[in-house]
Amino acid sequence: MRGEALYLPLSPYASLLTDANMPLITLSNVYKTYRHGSLEVTALTDFSLEIAEGEFIVLAGPSGSGKTTVLNLVGGLDRPSAGAVTVGALEIASASAAVLADYRLRRVGFIFQSYNLIPVLTAAENAEFTLMLQGVPRPERRRRVTELFIELGIEGLEERRPGDLSGGQQQRVAIARALAAAPGVVLADEPTANLDSHTAEELLDLMRDLNRRRGVTFLFSSHDDRVIGRARRVVRLEDGRMVGDSTTNR
Amino acid sequence: MNAFLYAWRSLWRNRRRTLITLTAIALSIMLVQAFHNLAVGAYARMIDDGVRAGSGHLAVYRHGYLESREENLGFSPANLAAQIRAIPGVTKVLPRVYLPALAQSSHDSRGILLIGVEPEAELTVNPFLKGLSADAMLRDIDGRDAVIGKRLLDDLKLAVGRKLVVTAQHRDGTLHSELLRVRGVVSTGMPDIDGSLLMVGRQRAALLTGMQDDIHELAIILNDSDEEAFVAAAITPLLHDRPELAAVSWEKAMPNLANAIKLDYASQKFIFVIILLIVTIGVVNTLLMSVMERLREFGVVLALGSSPGRLRRLVLIEALLLGMVAAVAGCVLGALATWYLVDIGIDLKRFIPETLEFGGVVFDPVLRAAWDLAWMAKIALYVVGLTLLAALYPAIKAGRITPVEAMRHH
Ligand SMILES: Nc1ncnc2c1ncn2[C@@H]1O[C@H](COP(=O)(O)OP(=O)(O)OP(=O)(O)O)[C@@H](O)[C@H]1O
Ligand SMILES: [Mg+2]
Repeated sequence: MRGEALYLPLSPYASLLTDANMPLITLSNVYKTYRHGSLEVTALTDFSLEIAEGEFIVLAGPSGSGKTTVLNLVGGLDRPSAGAVTVGALEIASASAAVLADYRLRRVGFIFQSYNLIPVLTAAENAEFTLMLQGVPRPERRRRVTELFIELGIEGLEERRPGDLSGGQQQRVAIARALAAAPGVVLADEPTANLDSHTAEELLDLMRDLNRRRGVTFLFSSHDDRVIGRARRVVRLEDGRMVGDSTTNR
Repeated sequence: MNAFLYAWRSLWRNRRRTLITLTAIALSIMLVQAFHNLAVGAYARMIDDGVRAGSGHLAVYRHGYLESREENLGFSPANLAAQIRAIPGVTKVLPRVYLPALAQSSHDSRGILLIGVEPEAELTVNPFLKGLSADAMLRDIDGRDAVIGKRLLDDLKLAVGRKLVVTAQHRDGTLHSELLRVRGVVSTGMPDIDGSLLMVGRQRAALLTGMQDDIHELAIILNDSDEEAFVAAAITPLLHDRPELAAVSWEKAMPNLANAIKLDYASQKFIFVIILLIVTIGVVNTLLMSVMERLREFGVVLALGSSPGRLRRLVLIEALLLGMVAAVAGCVLGALATWYLVDIGIDLKRFIPETLEFGGVVFDPVLRAAWDLAWMAKIALYVVGLTLLAALYPAIKAGRITPVEAMRHH
């Protein structure tokens, strides 16, 4: 199934959405419960959210409020217990595992709190990883990754292993990995939580910049007020419910 | 970067564990190859010694003789010996007479099996006679010279140059005796043989029964035991107008030796299987550990869009690389061990002072291996296959990882 998309193709830069006002990501009346034997944990309760293409939006809330759960649903890593999650033309709840894997491969970039780079691969190989999965030839991969490394200010670190990089450098490599396949959406789960505040702010500015220049939709989570303060739109969660959705003119 | 590179680097992530596993696999390949080659060498030697002392690689008998050993089931070789000698691959054709007889000295008597041979032909091949000097060897086909087992010599209180009498039943039903003189003494170390061996010229033995030029066995010695089938096929048409005769392979003529080898190799094979099984379990353990340690990494790989099938393949590739490196290392070690065993061998005399007997055949106490390259390659391939097999469960396990769980807990 390499190469051919299993859902309606949606280029990251030219939206297929016929109606420009239609949201790219829609969660409507989503419930998510985790069941462990007789124990049931409700992570999301009647959660609805619409995100337009090109938004830079943060999910804010205390630990356990459901931020990661929202990101997992949008990223196609998990399915809602009830309600609907749609990204472009893709209906997450009903999509098969193979379709979801392909969706993640081509449409979504992930950035994790603990970077999650593959330790045995070099920085460049890590950044190339999704391109490799897509079957992009090596020279083309290298070209794109070299460009990204320059853009992210980590040129010259291509051959280093993750273990030899600082936290900030690792997260930049992770951003390169998330962007390399030119996805429409980048999902970042507390991307700066492991970084000092100076580095965190730098990275956040970088992501904001990429969002502006590339038009990539950024959805990330944070419980750090300084980070939250830099987002245009802040969605607040508490106990799996939305308790606020505010947009500022930044 | 591709899947093989990723797998290769992952393999060396836990260098020590991989090296230990690799060593275990390689050593087991070495052991199995070296022991197999040693067995092949030893068996070949035993077969070689066995056929020379016994019935040859192939032997012609009259139907029923092998089963009954009746001395009246003889046959006239006529020109058969010459015809068989002309077949390419045949080294020697040895006509023989076997007679149950009574050997008597002035002191004592013993029941024995008198063997009538053609001394000239036997001398170069028969391991019993090989060690004898010219003045201890039978001189002619109808002389009174006798070569005698050491124990029989002692039992009869004889010495070289002394006389003895053998008595056997003639075809006409009466008892016939012949006077012999001890010329050579054979000491094989095998009590049975040393206590009963009595060899004389074939025509002298024939006089006892009046069988004249008839023989009981036409033993055929080949250059190489591999040519047995070819030579057997060439003999078949020669026996067309002699329906009472049959050519028989050494396995049939000497079932004791053939069965002893089969049994010995079967028990070796059993040990090989156990060695390989233990190694496979070790590999399962290593690969499973390496998968369990990387649950988070695999979760990330799946989250990034890899299919579970790809992840399973990655684990299999790691196993394949492990197996191939181990197979190469194992073959190098196995070749070195075989080389030593071919060149130097193992001298069993250092461990066992008695004469070595196996399946009724005395053999050289220095065991030497023989190269069985095809088998060595086969075992190496088996081991690569086994590591892949060992990787199946870990691979399935890796394919079942759910990214959300893997990244939440690890
Ligand atoms: N796989 C799961 N199994 C069981 N419970 C889960 C699972 N994932 C999340 N939860 C529970 O659902 C709730 C929401 O979790 P979630 O991880 O979305 O919160 P969060 O806002 O990301 O928290 P944090 O800031 O700690 O990352 C929590 O109570 C959590 O314990
Ligand atoms: Mg979280």
